Formats: sequence, C-alpha cells, structure tokens
Amino acid sequence: MAIVNLKDKTIQIKIVYYGPGRSGKTTNIEFIHNKLQQNKNQQISNLVSIDTKGDRTLFFDFFPVSLGKINGFDLKLKLYTTPGQVKYEATRRLVLKGVDGLVFVADSLTSRQDANLESFENLKSNLLYHKQSLSDVKLIFQWNKRDIDEKMIPLSPIEEMERLLNSELKVQSFPASATSGMNVLKTVNYISKETVKSVIEKTILNKHKMGN
Amino acid sequence: MNTVIREDTVTKVEKILQDFIEESGATYALITDMGGNPLFTAGEEDFDVDTLAALSAANYATTKEIANLIKEDNFSLLFHRGNNENVHFAKITQDILMIVLFKPFLSLGLLRLKINSLQQKIVSIIGN
Ligand SMILES: Nc1nc2c(ncn2[C@@H]2O[C@H](COP(=O)(O)OP(=O)(O)OP(=O)(O)O)[C@@H](O)[C@H]2O)c(=O)[nH]1
Ligand SMILES: [Mg+2]
Repeated sequence: MAIVNLKDKTIQIKIVYYGPGRSGKTTNIEFIHNKLQQNKNQQISNLVSIDTKGDRTLFFDFFPVSLGKINGFDLKLKLYTTPGQVKYEATRRLVLKGVDGLVFVADSLTSRQDANLESFENLKSNLLYHKQSLSDVKLIFQWNKRDIDEKMIPLSPIEEMERLLNSELKVQSFPASATSGMNVLKTVNYISKETVKSVIEKTILNKHKMGN
Repeated sequence: MNTVIREDTVTKVEKILQDFIEESGATYALITDMGGNPLFTAGEEDFDVDTLAALSAANYATTKEIANLIKEDNFSLLFHRGNNENVHFAKITQDILMIVLFKPFLSLGLLRLKINSLQQKIVSIIGN
C-alpha cells in the first residue's frame, strides 16, 4: 500500500524480494546497498538484517532509498527481503504487509525447482492472508545463479523456469547473478519504475483518501 | 489500495503530536502504518525514521502473533525501557501504530493517559 503525502510531497513504496531459502534474496539487496554506498553524492541508510548470526534471514533485510523526484514528488523506496526457509512462515507472512512490488528470486539449480514452485504457491497464499492477490501488485521474476558452471552443478534452462512459474502471468523476468551483480540493478530498477508507475496511475485515477 | 494523505490532515495530526510532545515532555512521536511507512512525526530525531517505522511495525506485528499463538487477545502494554530512552507502542487504529520515545524519568502512567486521549483526537481526524 503506497503512501502519497500531499503536504510533504512524498510517495513511499514497498518492494519485497521473495523466493525459496538460499535463492539469493539477501545477496541481491546487499549488492544494491553496496553499490549505492559507493555513490558519494547520496547519503544511504544502513542495511538492517534480522538474521541468524549473519547468515540465513530470520525476519527480513531492509533499507530505505530515495529515488529522486517524479511529478514534483520525492520517491522513497523501501526494500525488504523475506526469509525463504519454510519454517519461518510466521515472519515471512508479516513482511508482505502493504507490499506494492515483488521480485521473485528463483534458484536456477535443477535441484531447487520444486522449492521455487512451493515458494511461489506460498507467496500467493500469503498475499491472500493480507487480502491481496498477484493482480494487486507488480511482480517480476529473477532467474538467479546463472553464473554457476553447469558442468559442476546442473542448472534448469531459463525456458523451463519460465514454463514452471511464468507461463500464465507472462511478466518481465531477468536471468541474473546476485554474487557477480549481473542484472541485479536492472531487476531493482525495473520493478521500481513499474511499481511507481502503477501507484501514480492508481492514485490519480482512484483517489483513496485518508482524512476528511 | 493506496493511501493519499491530504495536506490539512498532515498539518492537523502533526500539530496534535507536537502539542503532545510539548505537554508530556516526550522526545519524539511517530505514527506509522502497519506496513512500516512513516505517516506523521513530531520531535527531534537523530536516527533513520524509515528504519524505526519498519522495525516498529514488525515488532508490533510479531507481538500480536505471539498473542494469537498463546490465545491472548492482545498485550495491553508494549514498551521497552532503556537507560537513556524508553519506547512505547500503541495501536491507534486497525491500520496504524504510534511510537513514542521518552526519557526514563517521565512517568509511564501519565504518558499512557495522554496517549489515550491523543488516540481519540487522531481517530477523529483520520477516521478508523
Ligand atoms: N553462485 C552463486 N551463488 C549465489 C548467488 N546468489 C546467492 N548465492 C549464494 O547462495 C547462498 C544463499 O544466498 P542468500 O542471499 O543468503 O539467500 P537468501 O535467499 O537470502 O536465503 P534465506 O535468507 O535463507 O531465504 C549464499 O552462499 C550466496 O553466496 C548467485 O547468483 N550465484
Ligand atoms: Mg536471506
């Protein structure tokens, strides 16, 4: 649920990285945070990670980032990851509250295709918990870990992953490598732009106001 | 399902929060939605407001889940005591949460009374 503040002229948008355990959600957000920190012109907030001794996500990773102005409004993006491990269902569900845009980070390992599917079904049911569905949010897929040498570890072809997860929705998708950074910024730029666009359209067309 | 907050709503609510801070001696007040977006603020801060909102919403939601789990309606007091700063969380409506930072020498009981009356004023402006 994006927040448009007409006094401060700000738009706040929540983007969530979802996907099975170890698919690379935290690695994505760390890469983005590092890149932004290298930019000396922008003061960037700390990355907050609620995890198990610096490894597996327990609740979420989070940081806010300003995206500059659009139509005179300051855009503030909030980036979150979810915990992928099945046992963290309770916290995972909470992170989705008020989500505007989703990046589904799928693991390219052949052995993780069932986990991808299970996580995607889990996403739909957790959106329902918040009385939302995939049609209420912007969604893109990321086929992660494409850097892995297929002679060492079998990977699923992209076409197969598309068939498994994206054959009905046919939304945007990017092959990526969160460790090397390949298409990591492209993914976040794309989802941000699309989400902002849809929020602006919705708030202009359908003015849902707070206060009277 | 987006929320557009009008200019006069922001002005009115932030005035109420500012008055509350002056009367109660609290350090800082923040109203956030349950998704972790800051909506209204008053007082001096030397921390990242977006992060405080995100963590507070998560903290509140987690506590509520614990209440559900042990079949408790909800905990009536959500409060952390520090050496330099205390923090108090209060649900204002189904969708929004208020966080108040205040110094340990202030009375929690009095502050809670003030927060209660504040809650009614805010609800009368933004609705339920
Ligand atoms: N080779 C390769 N390894 C990756 C890539 N992305 C992540 N990894 C590795 O996969 C492991 C898990 O990455 P995380 O980013 O912690 O995964 P996560 O999705 O946040 O996992 P949870 O927090 O448990 O849900 C780490 O050892 C990463 O270095 C990638 O693109 N290529
Ligand atoms: Mg993680």
